[in-house]
Amino acid sequence: MTRIWIIFAGLAVAGLVYPFAMPGMLSVAVTVLLFAGWATAWDIAGGWCGQVSLGHAAFVGLGAYVVALGQVELGIAPWFTLPAAAALAAALAWCWGRLTFSLAGPYFTLSTIAVAEILRMVAINEDWLTGGAIGVFISTLPEPFGIDLFSREAQYWMALAFALGTIALVAILSERRFGYRMRAVREDENSAMAAGIDPTATKLHAFMLSGALTAVGGGIYGIFLSYLEPHVMFYLFLSVQIALTAIIGGRGTVFGPAAGAVLLVGAGEVFRTAFAQANLLIYGILILIVVLFFPRGLVAELTRRIARRRYARSAQSE
Amino acid sequence: MDTTAFLQNVSNGVLIGGVYALIGIGLTLVFGVMRTINFAHGDFTVLGMYGAVAFNAAIGWDPYAALIVAVPAAFLGGVLIERFVLSRLVEAPPETTLLATLGLSLIIGNCLLLIWGPEPESVNVSYAATTIALGPVRVSVVLLAAGVLTLAAITALWLFLSRTETGRAVKATASNRLGAELVGIDTRRIHSLVFGLGTSMAVIAGVALIPLLFANPTSLGPIFTLKAFVVTVLGGLGNVWAAIAGGLILGIVEVLGTAYLASEYRDAYGLVVFLAILLLRPEGLFGRTTKRA
Repeated sequence: MTRIWIIFAGLAVAGLVYPFAMPGMLSVAVTVLLFAGWATAWDIAGGWCGQVSLGHAAFVGLGAYVVALGQVELGIAPWFTLPAAAALAAALAWCWGRLTFSLAGPYFTLSTIAVAEILRMVAINEDWLTGGAIGVFISTLPEPFGIDLFSREAQYWMALAFALGTIALVAILSERRFGYRMRAVREDENSAMAAGIDPTATKLHAFMLSGALTAVGGGIYGIFLSYLEPHVMFYLFLSVQIALTAIIGGRGTVFGPAAGAVLLVGAGEVFRTAFAQANLLIYGILILIVVLFFPRGLVAELTRRIARRRYARSAQSE
Repeated sequence: MDTTAFLQNVSNGVLIGGVYALIGIGLTLVFGVMRTINFAHGDFTVLGMYGAVAFNAAIGWDPYAALIVAVPAAFLGGVLIERFVLSRLVEAPPETTLLATLGLSLIIGNCLLLIWGPEPESVNVSYAATTIALGPVRVSVVLLAAGVLTLAAITALWLFLSRTETGRAVKATASNRLGAELVGIDTRRIHSLVFGLGTSMAVIAGVALIPLLFANPTSLGPIFTLKAFVVTVLGGLGNVWAAIAGGLILGIVEVLGTAYLASEYRDAYGLVVFLAILLLRPEGLFGRTTKRA
């Protein structure tokens, strides 16, 4: 447990120092942090509780649209609309989970794609609410204490707070009763039930928490892009990217999804010039490698090997 | 309601639904035998479309002639994928194969994107706008060709499954893998064969669709995959005949929904039906009622 918090403190320090060390590379960093937060949030349902969703872009889109429409249409500041977006996302996750958690494994995954795609079509076609395919443009934002929310620095701090907050929450949960309940449900629902755990309620709570956190990141993403299109916000491949980031990093680990975000967004930046729009190719290749050779995920496998080597060395010295 | 227009819509729905059925059959065959949900299925359909485009551009033949090359290539590709990827994951949890095929889907789509770029592609055939009068309705030649191709592929598959020794071995493997092995069937070979057949069906559907639809590299694949899932879930996963019914239902629902409800939600109707069926009758409309695991 203490080791987790030592690593967390290291990450926090790195996050605090980064904008002063590399002030020119803030956009990439915001993307890394948003994906780190999203993948960690996804992992609450997908990794810890075993409910693989390929529809999380719905929560991203919901968060972004609530924040943008709140500002543009009603003039409500983001710090009010972000909690509202989280609450709405939790409510959406509750309805969605109620409907779909009776389905097992792969069927649940397929139903999440269907739900997110239906929401995307609603966002495209209900232009009275969402501006339709043209999208919403955030032109003005309030300036709390004179901070310009359009500046990359401010967006960096918001994204950092989102990512670190999500990771910290997962680190705490992993040691709490709820964390153990989620793992029990993931491993075997029937045994979990025999131990007095309600699997549906556990899955529902995990999914609500996961959705609410993802929506907060979505709201920050909306401010970061300041222009919202349904094709971007509710994009199927955004859902796929979030899920694969967590799985490639390591499902059901505290830092795996965040490490996956650093690896994949970084690789995406490196290969962007080589592959232009085809940067999802790297996700496809990596997920195949992970599934075939490292089923626990890259980061989880790495830490396991280090631990094993350390154990072997300590056994030798005795 | 105008009867002629209604019949026109239904006939279009039946023909497009036939192609959906063809895509769905490949998916349901693979699921029925291998218990694998193939997320890359729709991308093979897109590969078929691009195969026809390439064939047409390279030697100027009719796009349908691409089948001569595309079907054996798709079969071989399917067999190789099964051998080198999926056969290693037989013992893994079910979502593992879903993730592996999702990876394949991303690889296929993005490789097509690298080769062709993001602009939609299609082929121009001289008979694209030609229609034939069948009683009160007019049917476009390309839709009719798609229907004929679908019928031929499904008939061939049916003959194979019911009349040949290998086909019966496939059915045996689907109903009980261990039992099939006990009577001397090499089920690993059957798995490769079935995955090859599945990809071939998807590619045939792609060739049938190219004169009708524009091909684009990344986003069309998942749309087809979803449609195939809708088709198979409508009928009950693993049941080839029910997939045909599911395809026809999806085609008719889409065309009628577009004509009489709201045309913007064309792709949503199928998904809503899909969710409703998954939730209310997970064994499918025509599936046998079994206890859920």
